[in-house]
Amino acid sequence: MKRSLSLLAKLLKIQVRSQLQYPTSFILEVLSSLLIQGFFFVAFGLTLIRFDQIGGWNLGEVAFVWGITEFSFGIMDMFFSGFDYDSFGPMVRRGGFDQLLLRPVNITLQVLGSRFVLRRLGRIAEGLVILIFSIIQIHASLSIVKVLYIPVLVISQVLFFSSLFIIGATTTFWTMDRLEILNVFTYGGGEVMSYPMHIFPRSIRLIFTFIVPAIFLSYYPAVYILNKPNPLGSPAFFAFLAPFISAFMFLLALRFWRFGVKNYQSTGS
Amino acid sequence: MSSIIHVQDLVKTFKIYHDHKGYLGAIRNLFDRKYDLVHAVDQINFDIHPGELVGYIGPNGAGKSTTIKMLTGLLVPTSGEVRVNGYIPWKERKTYVKHIGAVFGQRTTLWWDLPLSDSLTLLQHIYEIPDPLYKKNLAMFREILELDAFMNTPVRSLSLGQRMRADLCAAMLHDPKLVFLDEPTIGLDVVAKERIREFIQFINRERGTTILLTTHDIADVAKLCERVMIIDHGKIVFDGKLDHLLRTYGGRRFLSVQFAEIYPEPVLENADIIKMEGNNVVYSFMRDTVSASHLIHKLSESYRIADLEVNDQPIEDTIREIYEKQLLYNHNHDKKNPAS
Repeated sequence: MKRSLSLLAKLLKIQVRSQLQYPTSFILEVLSSLLIQGFFFVAFGLTLIRFDQIGGWNLGEVAFVWGITEFSFGIMDMFFSGFDYDSFGPMVRRGGFDQLLLRPVNITLQVLGSRFVLRRLGRIAEGLVILIFSIIQIHASLSIVKVLYIPVLVISQVLFFSSLFIIGATTTFWTMDRLEILNVFTYGGGEVMSYPMHIFPRSIRLIFTFIVPAIFLSYYPAVYILNKPNPLGSPAFFAFLAPFISAFMFLLALRFWRFGVKNYQSTGS
Repeated sequence: MSSIIHVQDLVKTFKIYHDHKGYLGAIRNLFDRKYDLVHAVDQINFDIHPGELVGYIGPNGAGKSTTIKMLTGLLVPTSGEVRVNGYIPWKERKTYVKHIGAVFGQRTTLWWDLPLSDSLTLLQHIYEIPDPLYKKNLAMFREILELDAFMNTPVRSLSLGQRMRADLCAAMLHDPKLVFLDEPTIGLDVVAKERIREFIQFINRERGTTILLTTHDIADVAKLCERVMIIDHGKIVFDGKLDHLLRTYGGRRFLSVQFAEIYPEPVLENADIIKMEGNNVVYSFMRDTVSASHLIHKLSESYRIADLEVNDQPIEDTIREIYEKQLLYNHNHDKKNPAS
């Protein structure tokens, strides 16, 4: 275990060093991704100001779910890029995964260490800026417990998104290519989590409750933290299920992944 | 001596699905998918002993890669037994791969975006190579493979030949007892090929590393391997010395003649005309049917000759002829299945 972690640290360190080889270009990349992602929120915010609120939530309140989701997704995307099925599928198809299997190291660790994308810092920073903007607006409704719950939520969301990545990567063992439909859950999940989810039609909410339980990671906790009325009339403890649901999903995803690796067969050529 | 690779009755069968077309077809595929069984590797047996350098050849799709993938643990056989270095490759992957090296010519084990030196450092950690051994090996390989010129270049910017040298170095750093080389010279120019061959020979001779080499380039085999195994249609159709193979199935020679004048049909017994351009004619004949001197004697009796030359058929062509005419396949088939 210790050896695995030190190897992972080396894999990441070397990649960071190589990505920082051209600092100017790196900084520009981070900045541009911050600005591009940030403009989505600015555009949304400008529209929202016209209407004052959406589903009873004002800009500062929506910024909370938006910021925390972006922040968590960015962190996940930085550390779990190896499982990004957009790149993992082609890697399996071209035999890159075979090369990993030929090395005497745990395969999960190798995939995790295979791709570390430091420039995701742009998106992380963008999420953080929006989150801070929100907290400035909503601080009146915060308590110590609520403030402490925010990092727990971030960790839960990171686990949640990484589970989706891992499940997506595992399916490519059979499909040899990414399944477009998975984007509905991963990127779509991130998208719906950025809004107060009661504004969506019931069918969409059901999908993101029972198939992919995204609603427990953003909407219910936010309702609690922001002191908002809950038009869905669900029990108050739903606000605290995020860490349990995400941990469960993560373990499930890892199991599925191990099953996939165990049953993986290279091609004949 | 006990063998380092033991393969017995090894079979790998793939299901090749025939999908129904279109949207409705996609739904039908869920319930009823038709498939053919393809026997990529069909009951093969062989043993390789420590220190051997064996060439494993055969036409495209004969089953070479499938075999190598089973030997390296990337594919699980349909049936049969494989023991490599005491391990069952696909069952004990993590411990097994510590002792082997593998180079797949079409792929790289190196990190695409990292400089070569970083890739090699990472491999040192991955294989837990002690510092003194790593330094010693690296120094040696740097010199033989001339890696210094591109040690700090990202792998993606290397030429194919450079990348192959880098990959060979990467595969040997941990002193594997056994190395699988799958098409290590593919796509390289003559000079680069020669350099790779010299390195393979060095590894085998000086360090006693056992090597199983698959290739399309018969020149690799001719230069490197005493022993060849030929696989065709999933069966091993020949396993033995290259010399023996050439003596048994080769022996075709060519007699090129320039006549002093043009003859319309300069026929010669026991030899076929395979090319005729004006007064230049090329005959083909078999060494064990007729001697060159006899043919030349016969020719000079009937025609006036300006110049002539005798050549042996290149090994590549001999082997190709063996594949194409399926000489070995039929031969072996009859021997193994007397009933058929």
